[in-house]
Amino acid sequence: MTNAKFFIHLFVLLLIQLILLDNIQIHSYVCINLYILSIYILPYRWSNVAILFFGFCLGMFVDLINHTMGVHTIATTLIAFMRPQMLLLTSNREQISDIQGRQKISEFAWFFKYIVINTLIFNSVFILCETFSFRNFPITLLRIVCSTLASILFILLYYLIALKEKKN
Amino acid sequence: MKEIIKLFVRYHFTIFFVVLEIVAFSLVVLHNNYQRTVFSDLAAVLSDAFSFTVSTTKDYFLLKETNEEMVAENTKLRNQIEAYKTLCQNARIYPAEHSVSGNFTYIPARMINLSFNKTKNYITINQGEEDGISTEMAVCSKEGVVGIIEKTSNHYAKILPLINVNLRVSAKVAKNGYYGSLQWDGNDYRYTYLNDIPFHVDVEIGDTIVTSGFSTIFPEDELIGFVESINKQTANFLSIKVRLATDFKKISNVYVIANTRKQEQQELESDYD
Repeated sequence: MTNAKFFIHLFVLLLIQLILLDNIQIHSYVCINLYILSIYILPYRWSNVAILFFGFCLGMFVDLINHTMGVHTIATTLIAFMRPQMLLLTSNREQISDIQGRQKISEFAWFFKYIVINTLIFNSVFILCETFSFRNFPITLLRIVCSTLASILFILLYYLIALKEKKN
Repeated sequence: MKEIIKLFVRYHFTIFFVVLEIVAFSLVVLHNNYQRTVFSDLAAVLSDAFSFTVSTTKDYFLLKETNEEMVAENTKLRNQIEAYKTLCQNARIYPAEHSVSGNFTYIPARMINLSFNKTKNYITINQGEEDGISTEMAVCSKEGVVGIIEKTSNHYAKILPLINVNLRVSAKVAKNGYYGSLQWDGNDYRYTYLNDIPFHVDVEIGDTIVTSGFSTIFPEDELIGFVESINKQTANFLSIKVRLATDFKKISNVYVIANTRKQEQQELESDYD
């Protein structure tokens, strides 16, 4: 993914997230977070610290607009921190060298595994920060599961529409 | 210093992450009302628990010191008690509320033996002739009348209490002054009977019964008890069941009341013969 393409995707994702998804109230148990996809598809050339800083700024930006100071920031910073490890974890050794290549993102099985783990972690942290308590934990758990499923659904939709390069 | 910088360079990614998370967390706690409340509650609970642990631990280490202080204080208090005991033995106590008339002298005493399950009960106290006690002195506790001194030795005295069928005390209904004779029936140590009150007298349950003051023994208006129930004894007199103010199972300290002008009154009255 080149920088230019990435920033277009980032812009579109934030637009969808902030204008559309944040204004859709499906259920109090369901939070759809599509914009985290932009952390998953960051250009591979970026340094780890840059990714971390980008995650922090992205979360902060979403927080500023949603008036949820810090809640998104904690989760996005964590996702950005884990991204290098997560890339290694979800790929086997032979694939590591391929991660640098741009065809990697087209590999659906790998991408699916990658976003499921990341989105689950993101939503767990995000909803725990929002609830800020371990009271009624089953409900919190249910919210995490629902939000994760909804987020994955939307991320996959976006992936299939805009990211997956058609094989010819 | 070089090592620290090396360490910092090596782990700069993690350190950077931790710093950013701390910043984000502080943002959450500082800028969200709900999270701030939860966090400050939690912080309060934690700091309370911490300071409680610290103070209990500190208390444990200070036990020896505290013990020494307690022993010192105990010793001081015991010495004071002894001093007051000596004072009490040397000087008679005149309670303020009784000193106005000046007729009666109060001698504090402690009960050392008593019975309450016979018809002729007796109480023994630890003051005797040498302490200025003689027969036919009244005995009261802080709750009410106890009885009359029947017999004395040098250091002890035997009391004929209200719960002895041989004792008759002149008593009156406090609110209207009608008087009668109080005598125990030998049954329940909590109740006694006031007889010889004319049947027309208005007595209600709960009325106060006090000493009449017609004898040379009791001062007037010493509390005896309260009306429990009223029976018509004969055609003309009521029999009033009186709940005693003094709980004979509980008292331990009593006052012996000496009438200083008894002699004078008796001498004067003997002239009537």
